[in-house]
Amino acid sequence: MEDFILLNPPSTWDLLIEFWQFNDMNALWVLMGSILLGTSASVIGSFAFLRRRSLIGDALAHAALPGVMMAFLLFQTRDPLIMFLGAVTSSFIGFFIIDWLPKNTKTKPDAALAITLSFFFALGLMLLSFIQGMEVENKSGLDKILFGQAAAMTQEDINLLMVVTVFILITVMLFFQKFRLIAFNSSYAQSLGIAVNRYELLLALLIVMSVVVGLQLVGVVLMAAVLLTPVAAARFWSDKLTSILILAGILGAISAIISTQISYLAPAMPTGPWMVVSLASLFFLSLLFAPNKGLINRYLQQNQLRQKVAEENILRTLYKLWERTEFQKNDFNMGDIQSLRTMPTHHLQSSLKKLCRRKLLTSSSRGFRLTDSGLEQATLLTRRHRLWENYLNEHLELTPDQVHSQAERIEHILTAEQEKQLEEELKNSQQDPHGNVIPGVNNATQTGAKR
Amino acid sequence: MSNATRPAPIKVQNLNMRYHHKPVLTDVSFEIPEGKTIAIVGPNGAGKSTLLKGIMGLEPLIEGEVSFFGEPLSQKRLSTAYVPQREEIDWDFPISVMDVVLMGRHGQLKLWQRPGKIDHEIAEQALKDLQMWDFRDRQISQLSGGQQQRVFLARALAQQAQLYLMDEPFAGVDVATEKAIIELFKNLKAQGKTIVCVHHDLNTVGEYFDWIIFINARLVAAGPVEEVLTKENLQKAYGGRLSLLNDLTEEVYRTRLNQAHDSD
Amino acid sequence: MKIATLFKTLFASLALMSLSLTAHAQMNIVTTTGMIADLTENIGGTAVKVTSLMGTGVDPHLYKATQGDLRKLMKADVILYNGLHLEGKMQDIFEKMARKKPVYAVANNISESKLITDHLHSDPHIWFDIKLWLVAGQNVLDILIKHDPKHQADFQANAEAYFQKLNELHEWTIQQIQTIPEQQRILITAHDAFGYFGQAYGLKVRGLQGISTAAEFGLQDIKQLKDVIVANQIKAVFVESSVSPRFIQSLVKGVAAEGHQLKIGGELFSDAMGLTNTAEGNYIGMVTHNVNTIVSALKGANTHE
Repeated sequence: MEDFILLNPPSTWDLLIEFWQFNDMNALWVLMGSILLGTSASVIGSFAFLRRRSLIGDALAHAALPGVMMAFLLFQTRDPLIMFLGAVTSSFIGFFIIDWLPKNTKTKPDAALAITLSFFFALGLMLLSFIQGMEVENKSGLDKILFGQAAAMTQEDINLLMVVTVFILITVMLFFQKFRLIAFNSSYAQSLGIAVNRYELLLALLIVMSVVVGLQLVGVVLMAAVLLTPVAAARFWSDKLTSILILAGILGAISAIISTQISYLAPAMPTGPWMVVSLASLFFLSLLFAPNKGLINRYLQQNQLRQKVAEENILRTLYKLWERTEFQKNDFNMGDIQSLRTMPTHHLQSSLKKLCRRKLLTSSSRGFRLTDSGLEQATLLTRRHRLWENYLNEHLELTPDQVHSQAERIEHILTAEQEKQLEEELKNSQQDPHGNVIPGVNNATQTGAKR
Repeated sequence: MSNATRPAPIKVQNLNMRYHHKPVLTDVSFEIPEGKTIAIVGPNGAGKSTLLKGIMGLEPLIEGEVSFFGEPLSQKRLSTAYVPQREEIDWDFPISVMDVVLMGRHGQLKLWQRPGKIDHEIAEQALKDLQMWDFRDRQISQLSGGQQQRVFLARALAQQAQLYLMDEPFAGVDVATEKAIIELFKNLKAQGKTIVCVHHDLNTVGEYFDWIIFINARLVAAGPVEEVLTKENLQKAYGGRLSLLNDLTEEVYRTRLNQAHDSD
Repeated sequence: MKIATLFKTLFASLALMSLSLTAHAQMNIVTTTGMIADLTENIGGTAVKVTSLMGTGVDPHLYKATQGDLRKLMKADVILYNGLHLEGKMQDIFEKMARKKPVYAVANNISESKLITDHLHSDPHIWFDIKLWLVAGQNVLDILIKHDPKHQADFQANAEAYFQKLNELHEWTIQQIQTIPEQQRILITAHDAFGYFGQAYGLKVRGLQGISTAAEFGLQDIKQLKDVIVANQIKAVFVESSVSPRFIQSLVKGVAAEGHQLKIGGELFSDAMGLTNTAEGNYIGMVTHNVNTIVSALKGANTHE
């Protein structure tokens, strides 16, 4: 419904620059507010995540709804502080019920959570509907708490968020060790004489506060995501809890920046849902690309291992073939190799090529042959394989066949240290259970000289 | 050699524990001697773990008193170290071996106090005593079962307690770990400390422990191995003869006969 | 004594009969918005009993009917709603009810040329152009006559009197708006409810949210509005009784923090009227209040947060 359109609507680039110059106050407020929320919610949500009570944030958010409605009904005001206190009260009552039910009845924790969440939420919706029918002023917009209305943030909202964020971060820093201990092994903490109940109450207070200030930004329905997704994503990147918490905070802040940016650049884009979408995207990126734990890296590592195994197997096979001809014939073709080791032809081909590139093999019209360094490798591998076979044979009383298949796997990961250990244990035996000679460490040069 | 004038490390009187309406432990009373290794033994579901947790105040007692060296647990926390069952732990938790062992120092650290240099030294020694020092920076998720058990023991060791209560420390561990635990027991005994373990393996109980407490919802017997490890006691604890007594006890709770009786 | 009692009984029963006659004769009409109810009451007079589902401060775009509402609808003789998708979440109910009862959209018969349409949707806030509201009034009159032809004369008399008042209101509004200096004739509100108002009375209008409050809005929408405000040096914007004031309040604070002058000119009744039994609790009162508020704020005489 435009009766007037700006003559020169700013381009996306202009908007970006304006955003980062922080000239637009509304954008700045939303940015600051969502960064504060993203940081504090992710840090406190991490503890819920680690204690495997991930959905408690969701339940507490839903439990806040009737509190806001009751505060309005009782005090007939939209004063943010009164709404905050009302929300915190009913959220806390929800927390106690969730805690009390499993301890004193046969209700399991997850059922207690679901029941409390639904009951409180339904109660809140009923009260909301009731208020809508009342002849009072000032009642519009109470339903905005369901999905948040981030764009309407102002300086006063930021002040409250700032207080809550600072309180949460300082408390977590102070009590980090105790929180971690209780999250890891709360019965042990109790046995040490630590007042576990008090710390749990403190944690609950922090979560409730974070949830309630977050409601205006992302709403009841989406609050759980803001609490949990950052730590779930951060888990892929580190094993140190302090790093995980810091990273979770950073991811929360990043999602805040992205969502505010999007809301600024395009019309009708609410910040709250976009914050959750950004978090989910960061989670998937972490899932895929994190080093070590990310799927892509694991896949690549697997591939590398497979490749290494294939190549080492080929080297050993060549050694064996050479050994069988009593060290006379050196060149073998693919068919020879495949007679001793089943391998699909195209795999064999590509592995042979790679081995040639690494100068472990040379190829000629007569076939493939081990180079000096290739021979060294092959001897080493054969030695390890046969040592291990001996070890298994002596210590486990396995049959020679069983021994062989086990060794096939182990030889690729035995280290030099372990090799020495094996030698000592086996008191330098010379032959493996099949009767093959175990090549000595110096064998390579000896037999090399023979050729 | 036990100090005759020092009260027993643990004295249990008339302990009763319940789970909903089912009696888990009824009328358990015993006293353990100092400086010995004591095994709590009984069939599955007999209440062994529950007994340990009840003694440590981790689960509520319906009735009964427990004293540690003559005093309530709250006065003797620093003298008591508890090692929970391995299966209760989330082994995917992001934490290193060293940090787990340092947790043992938190009985002495107030509020936001962090472990200091001395705490780190104590933790280091504890890890070395259990041959786990090389693993100090490893994630606990990367350890084998036996190694995990040793980390837990190191944690308890770091508490420098007088009395150690362990819940099935030998369950599912490898030979090397088993040896390490026995070594640890020897050392602790030499220092005059007392060790109480819930133990599942009848084959080794005579070898590893000085005393046995047989539990099957009730106390069957308690005393030195030579006296107590008899066919008769084994039958009583494992033979199922006590099930009638158990059923009746449950009925008593259900009908609140106890309370009716008391008000006579 | 006997005759006295006889007369009393006769009188009593006559009174009762006439009462029941009139009670029986009252048509039960259920409307969605309070404005339609007000219109119907003014035309129907004593021959109708009107209830509205949406009272003061209720947003018709988002309103979801309750069980109680359905019961009221089931008991109605005639159901009146606005149409043009104002009652966005009740369309199914109208369709269902239409199978059993007479259900009418009072915004029918407004010619396409008069409607404000953007892309696919028409702006439903027709009651802000009094001329269009008169068309709705005519519709209501026809409907009432159709369903209660006995009272045709009453209805027509009521309508004539009421329409006269509406025409006077129309003229008065035009004149009032004229008193605002031309450059200040810009109306910024919480959502695009005043399109017809602007079109009919010579104001440029713009809302933060679109035609329906069900649409989300973000920072870009606030920014565009701020640019418009700054470019045109607008002094006052308005909150609406049925929409959360927070949005406009944050807009005002943002503009103020950026160094420009802007106040909230007052509260307008857009999609709902004021409290019942107050001056703004009926259509004429509502429009009067709106016009007064707009005029004094835009003229610069009366501004408050």
